[in-house]
This record gives sequence, structure tokens and C-alpha cells, in this order.
Amino acid sequence: MVEKQLTRERSSSWSWILQAFTGVMLVVLLGLHMVVQHFVVKGGLRNYQQVAEYLSNPFVFLLEVAFLIIVTWHALLGVRAVLFDLGLKPATERNWTAALTVIGLIMIAYGIWLSVTIVSQGRV
Amino acid sequence: MSTEVEPKPVQRKPLEWFNLKGKRVGFWAYVVMRLSAAGLVLYLFLHLVILSQLAVGPAAWDNFVAIAKAPAFLLLDVVLIIGILAHGLNGIRLALIGFGIGVPRQKMMLWIGLVLTIVFSLLSALAIFAETK
Amino acid sequence: MKLNVKMYRYKPGSEPHYDTFPVEVPDTGNVLDAIERAWADHDMSIMFRHACHHASCGSCGLLVNDQEKLPCVTPVKDYGEGATLKIDPMRNMPVITDLAVDASPIYQRMQLIGMPIIRNAETLRPDGTEPLPNGVETFKRFENCLECGLCLSACPVMATDPQFLGPMALAAAERALAEPRGLDAERLYQLIDDEHGLWRCHSSFECTEACPYEVDPGAAIMRLKRKVAARKIKRLLGG
Repeated sequence: MVEKQLTRERSSSWSWILQAFTGVMLVVLLGLHMVVQHFVVKGGLRNYQQVAEYLSNPFVFLLEVAFLIIVTWHALLGVRAVLFDLGLKPATERNWTAALTVIGLIMIAYGIWLSVTIVSQGRV
Repeated sequence: MSTEVEPKPVQRKPLEWFNLKGKRVGFWAYVVMRLSAAGLVLYLFLHLVILSQLAVGPAAWDNFVAIAKAPAFLLLDVVLIIGILAHGLNGIRLALIGFGIGVPRQKMMLWIGLVLTIVFSLLSALAIFAETK
Repeated sequence: MKLNVKMYRYKPGSEPHYDTFPVEVPDTGNVLDAIERAWADHDMSIMFRHACHHASCGSCGLLVNDQEKLPCVTPVKDYGEGATLKIDPMRNMPVITDLAVDASPIYQRMQLIGMPIIRNAETLRPDGTEPLPNGVETFKRFENCLECGLCLSACPVMATDPQFLGPMALAAAERALAEPRGLDAERLYQLIDDEHGLWRCHSSFECTEACPYEVDPGAAIMRLKRKVAARKIKRLLGG
């Protein structure tokens, strides 16, 4: 059984490299997110009006969406990495990758929808 | 008399991730990465769910902000910061050594990361409790 | 020096347990001597591997107080008069009996890489720090790796992933890629550029800590990650 596990078909993977890249990007993106959320407004927390104002700035909007995509990607790549440490069957691995991809896309879609909603509601 | 001994098959032991006996500082960093990652993933989901209050409206969100200023909540924020710093700073080390940069100094990077985590956690705690009134 | 040897015992058909044996060994003795005394003086059914007694065969790897050691070169002085030495078999390999494990995980992995045992590692000139015997001006050091398996025992990924190539094989792959000697380099790249090759390593460096012979598999894996990542990125950009 050990023989069979060791001689499974091997295939090139970018996941670790992407994990590292997204992680480094997060140092900047998370840092910016923290500064804009907590070090600009008096009291350190934005109320509804302040959130709507700030998201209406297109640059900020894009920044937050980029942050959402990168953080979701890094987080779910991480979950996948821990799962793969358990030495699962190739088919199980493929299923988990697919499931986590779907979850990630849903999270990102939700975040974009939410941001658009806040901006349009804030304009009213 | 001879007996064929069938060795037990290789077993997966995830509990070994929590077995710290005899382990050194590099393993501790590995454990901290995993624990902080688990915490941060949970936080990410929680955060995204809470943000939905913004879609409900101003009253709902501002209500949440009021709760978020409570000292107990701020304390949880400090725990979050510690998790972010531990994960992020060690993560930078992992990214560097994983691309072959500074490998002979990897242990020193670990200790620097630990010191920076403590220092910035304290500074953040001060900032959070001082600023939020 | 008087010591207590608290030894993991397992015979097929019965439950694993620990037996404690009081032994006496010379102060200059090693942990393997203590184990042998336990065998000779107390219980000759104890099964353990040992051969060269000087850290060149790699047979005797085991855990002493939960740390990977080659007991043949681990001084009892490290533990002190009256100490209890907890002796366990290596981790992550099936236990056959007592301290003897099925070491095929080691050899199967090395076989996958192509058994790159003898490589010219480096030609050394004396720098004045260590005198050489008369008439010797330079010497070549061959591979340090004993294939003892202590790195596989120490690695937290080996504990949960039977498909992981492991530190030993990955360090061997680095040496093989530096000096292929007829081995298929492309095949080696394919082996290691895989979820259960290089990319399962999480840099705990327990392998480096466990290695009794300065192979530093952790550093080898980091260098390999760089090499493989650079190669992939270059190919992606059309290089």
C-alpha cells in the first residue's frame, strides 16, 4: 500500500507559490485596509455614513475588492494545504479543490454585491 | 517455530501536530501558523457575515459599531491582532526562506518575528484602547 | 554512570507498554551501550537494530526522551547520573517489534529518487583550523546522509501524509540535480514539483534538528523550492 501511495501520478503545482505571493500582497493590502478603516476616522470605527462615503471612492472600492479576492484566495489555499497534509486520495483532493474554489467564488461574489449595495444605498 | 510478523500499516496521526514533546522552536512556529490560520479563517467568515448588517441599513450597522466599542470586544480585537501579526510576520519568513532567501538565518528571522509580534501587539493594544471611546 | 532505561516494548499479539531497566555504563558510554546493557543484563527478548556503532551505517535511529537520536554516538553524559532515558522507536514508520521499525518508507523513497548516494560534495583545502595528516593537501567529502531515517521520524508532515516524499528524498534530489550522473533530471523535477513532493514542506526544520550528520535537509528543500519556482516562472514567461 505504501508503494502504491508513493508511486501515484505526480503533477506540477502552483499552489505553494500562489500562497506565498498572495501572502506577501496581503502584508500591503491588509496594512492599507487597517489604516483606512481604523486610523482615519475619529474613534477608530466607521459608522454607516462613513463606510458609504469611503466606498464611493472608486480607488477605495477597487482596493477593498482586491483585498477581498486576495485574502479569500490565501485563506482557502491555506485550508486546502492543511487538508492535503492528510495524504488524501487524488480524487478526494480534486473534489476538495473544486469545493473550496466554489466557496471562494461565492465569498467574493457576496463581497462585491455587498459593496455595490452599500454604495448605491448610500447615494439615496 | 517461526512466525510471519505482519507490520502494522503506516497510520496517519494528525494528533502528532499537537505533540510538542521534544520539539524545537521551528515546530512551535509551525503550530502557531496553523492555529492562527484556523482562527483567521473563522474570523474571515464571521467578518463577512457581520458586514451584511451594512446592507440592512444605517441603524443596524451603527448598532453593531456601538457593541464593537465595548471593552470585551476590544479585547477580542487585540487577540485578532496578535493572530494577524504572528501569522503575517512568520509568513514573511516562510515566503523568504521558501524562495531561498536568508535560509542560514531562518532561526534568527523566527526570533525577530516573535519580538516584532510582541512589540506591535502591545502597541496595537494601546492604540485600540486609547483611541476607541 | 547508573541510568534507568525506560523502553517501549511491543510484541505482536500483546499491547505496547514501557519496561524500565536499571543499567550501569561507563561515563564515556553512549545511549546504545545502555540499551545493550538492558538487553544483556535484563531481557534478551529486546529487539533493536545496531551495526557499526560509529554513525556510519544509520541502523540504530530511535527516540531518546522524544528526540530523534543515533544512540551509538549520543553520550550518556548528555543526560546525567541517575537519569531516566525514555527510548521509543522512530516515528512515522510501522513498528515491527520493540524498537525495530519497518524502514521500507526510507528505501522506497530513495529508490524513487534513484539512490543518489555517492556524489562529489566538495573538495576541501585545509584553512588552518583543522590539521590534515602528513602528505594530505586536500580531501573530498562524499555525502553526509546515512539514510538513517531520523528526519522522516521528526517531520510533522510525514506523520500525516504517507505520500510525502520526505526530507531525506528531497535533499537527495537536490544532490542528484546538482550532479545527475546519468539520472533523468526532468523526471526528478516532475517528482518533486508536486503537491506531495516539495510543496508539502512547511519549514518546521525538525528534519535539520534531527539529522545527526549535518545534511540540513530543511535548507536543501528551501533551495530546491527556489530552483523549482524559478524554473516554473521562467517557463511560464516563455523562457
